[in-house]
Amino acid sequence: MTRRVPELSPGRPLHRRTVLRGLLGGAAVGVGLPLFDLFVHDNGHALADHTGFPKRFGWWFFGNGIHAEKWTPAGDGPTWEPSPQLLPLAALKSEITVLSGLKVYLPNTVPHGSGPAGILTGGPLGKVGDSFDNSTFGGATLDQIIAQTIGNDTRFRSIEVAVERSLDSLSYSGPGQTNPPEDKPFALYQRIFGAGFVAPGDTPILDPKLALRRSVLDAISSDSLALKKRLGQADKIRLEQHYDNIRALEKQLKKLEEDPPNLASCGLPATPEADYPDLEGRPQMSAISRVMSDMLAMALACDQTRVASVMFSRPVSGVLYPGASDSHHKLTHDELGQQPKVHAIILQIIEELAYFLEALRKVPEGDATLLEHSAILCMSDCSFGKSHAIDNYPLLLAGGADGALKKGIHYKSPSAENASRLGFTLLRAMGVPVTEFGAAEGLVTQGLEDIEG
Amino acid sequence: MLAARSLAPALALFVAAACAAEDLPQLPELAPAPSVIPAAVTVKRLTRSQYTSTIRELLGEVAVPIALEPDAEVDGFLALGGATTSISALGVERYESAAYDVAAQALDNDAIRARILPCEPADATQPDPACAEEVVRSFGLRAFRRPLGEEEIARYTDIAVLAAEKLGSFRDGVEFALAGLLQSPHFLFRVELGEPDPDAPGRRRYSSYEMASRLAYFLWGTTPDDALLAAASKGELVTTAGLEREADRLLASPRARLGVRTFFEERFALHRLDDLVKDTSVFPSMSADLGPDAREETLASLEELVFDRDEPYPSLMTRRRTIVNRRLASLYGVPASSLDGFAPVTLAEDGPRRGLFGQASILALYSHSTATSSTLRGKFIRTALLCATIPPPPADVDTSLPEPSEVMPTLRDRMAEHVTNPVCASCHTFLDPIGLGLEQFDGLGRFRTTEQGATIDPTGELDGAKFQDARGLGEAVASHPDFAGCLTRHLYRYATGVRERDGDEPLIGWLTERFGASGLRIKPLLREIVLSEGFRFGTEAP
Repeated sequence: MTRRVPELSPGRPLHRRTVLRGLLGGAAVGVGLPLFDLFVHDNGHALADHTGFPKRFGWWFFGNGIHAEKWTPAGDGPTWEPSPQLLPLAALKSEITVLSGLKVYLPNTVPHGSGPAGILTGGPLGKVGDSFDNSTFGGATLDQIIAQTIGNDTRFRSIEVAVERSLDSLSYSGPGQTNPPEDKPFALYQRIFGAGFVAPGDTPILDPKLALRRSVLDAISSDSLALKKRLGQADKIRLEQHYDNIRALEKQLKKLEEDPPNLASCGLPATPEADYPDLEGRPQMSAISRVMSDMLAMALACDQTRVASVMFSRPVSGVLYPGASDSHHKLTHDELGQQPKVHAIILQIIEELAYFLEALRKVPEGDATLLEHSAILCMSDCSFGKSHAIDNYPLLLAGGADGALKKGIHYKSPSAENASRLGFTLLRAMGVPVTEFGAAEGLVTQGLEDIEG
Repeated sequence: MLAARSLAPALALFVAAACAAEDLPQLPELAPAPSVIPAAVTVKRLTRSQYTSTIRELLGEVAVPIALEPDAEVDGFLALGGATTSISALGVERYESAAYDVAAQALDNDAIRARILPCEPADATQPDPACAEEVVRSFGLRAFRRPLGEEEIARYTDIAVLAAEKLGSFRDGVEFALAGLLQSPHFLFRVELGEPDPDAPGRRRYSSYEMASRLAYFLWGTTPDDALLAAASKGELVTTAGLEREADRLLASPRARLGVRTFFEERFALHRLDDLVKDTSVFPSMSADLGPDAREETLASLEELVFDRDEPYPSLMTRRRTIVNRRLASLYGVPASSLDGFAPVTLAEDGPRRGLFGQASILALYSHSTATSSTLRGKFIRTALLCATIPPPPADVDTSLPEPSEVMPTLRDRMAEHVTNPVCASCHTFLDPIGLGLEQFDGLGRFRTTEQGATIDPTGELDGAKFQDARGLGEAVASHPDFAGCLTRHLYRYATGVRERDGDEPLIGWLTERFGASGLRIKPLLREIVLSEGFRFGTEAP
């Protein structure tokens, strides 16, 4: 049924995907091939309106907090040394900014919930009935606000993944409107690089089914529009969200029929294993995280999306890490003293963060790297896991947002500034023209000038 | 904050009814049901479980993809989450992929295809608009749970014709039309908006077709069958007589078993047993199958209680019969009565296990991955069985629990230390003393009498009722004044799909009285809820 157009056009000397496959030998890294000129598409247009590379955004989240004494680096400004818990990031020191002393001023009504809502939405948790409830955030999260500005030209407006299996999501388009993360590496691969993915240099397959699928989605969106007229206000918003996402899929399918973006560092990542079963009751956090990091790096390098967020572990994460005597969350509460067992877990987590950031740094883009063109916000769900505190919030930035953010500094808040100011700065750095960010005690009208580039 | 709702009349009725006749008793005439101002009408997204069972009902035994939009839990139920959430971008992709997948499977299976296609095309390689329209009309009725409007019929018929043209195959045209119907918001959401109630201005009455959906998803956990849709088409489900007849038919059907299972699976959060995390160095008998097996024990026991033996609801806590496979029998140290699969066993007269508190599902789920938790178990008893509300722990307090030591060998010792902080104590004294009643079962549900070499003390008191161990705790819960009313409350919440409001309390109290009068039988309670105003009527959404 499918009519395949030959993948290689005559006269093209080398097939780019073949080159990458051969060079990488299965490893998933972007290689700086001097092929940019070789593969200029006759009608490639992805970068036609750009003078440079697009900016990307993402957050990288882990649950259960840190230990401030071991987390906060000594020194400030450009002269600081990685603290014990940041040691795995030592090689990335010039790429990251550590922020300490910022505070979430919102009421800490739900441990592990109020913190992430405060950082990512600038406001409190959503309400169920009259009380703040952990089942929803009160508004859209930074990634989705930013995706509204920078996510419209790519196949996926945003991509969310989780390494720990979870029903939770920390990405919201609005109250009750989560963007659930993909937690299966193979499914993530299929979604981005599976059937229909067109690598630079490849010719899109003209499959008549793509057009038919779009016709079907069009019919569904007509159903949706007609239905919306009969609904109350709250349901209307829910159905509008569904409608927007139907339209987004239509656009995604259209993209598959277009010539792909002509990006030198784009290539297929390694195919993940079909399954990553727990080993002796312990999830394979590291293996899953790494294969997902490699896929996300290529999703960004191939301009399939410009917004990619990672929930490494969930709030209140009960993961049993290799070597740990108990689940992460339980240890944060029960371990006494300096919590060496929790510390060892945090080191494992930050090593995976380092891998993710290195995966982005490995992708060359012009004279710089994918990481340099990105802003990655790294955060947890509280500061000290044992007490669920949300002052002195653990926050890191990686990447310079193409010069919009300073890198390589330790920003020590002089006055426990409102943590929402970081969100404000990030929105501005990504080109979102906001004049305020957040809600209630989290509402701010200015950013953190000292970290702006 | 810790609402203990008084339902003393229900207790009195339970005591009286526990020894009532075996047959469905004739309910004594009580005062008429109190009026309610019904909840605002809303659309509800199908839960994963509802989606799966609905697809099977529509298409037969096809393999339904498991990658779907995740459920959201609101007020303890996934069904309530369906009334607040939307469908994400990933969800739209997943439903699309699932729709083509199941449509293709169905059309490639001759028996299923014959059921879906009421006609055959003149030429299999050509569009046949008349036959396509018949397919859309008949399948659409079942997929949307109501007849399609003319515009909708045209929309999906056009798809079938267009696709058949482009692909040179009538069958492929139908595949696209079916896949379309299965992605429509009218399929993925239960659209129950009501119509003006002729008897009460300002109130909305769920239409006959909407009542078919409400009945089927509440009582069966799946979509209406043809007979229910036929009754709906005659307007019978807005009449009390028609509703009673269909409620009785649905409750007598084997499908009601899935309905009861789905409710309890949500109520006890048993879906989480799929991802049970246990440290195998502490629990060598842990395996990936244990969680699903333990869930099956609990659900099969409930099914037997309600449908095969018509036991009163409190029997859930006290029954000696359970249904286990070899893995669970070995964990419990009882002889398995079947070599393969699940079979009923009768627990030892003087053994420690009785009812729900002897089941690995609850014992393992409400524990940590390396140890038990009197807090998690106590919270399960208070919230899932007795409907108390527990606020989240306060922030900014030291929550550490001492490690086991010679000085504090048992969890009871360590918890005593833990609750010296009055802020914590306010809730923990409400939870832990009852959770400690289950301490003779470890974090997987295996029986033990010692911890760290010290004897475990499982005695305690639940709101004035003293208990010696888990068996006694089960009895104390079964005769607790809130036990029956809590099931009514949860069933009512689940049935209506929204959290009950203050105005619903008189009706919930009345339903609980009726429940008591029936000898605390669950089937008559389900019937009463279906007939209640809260289930049949709505208020216009703001």
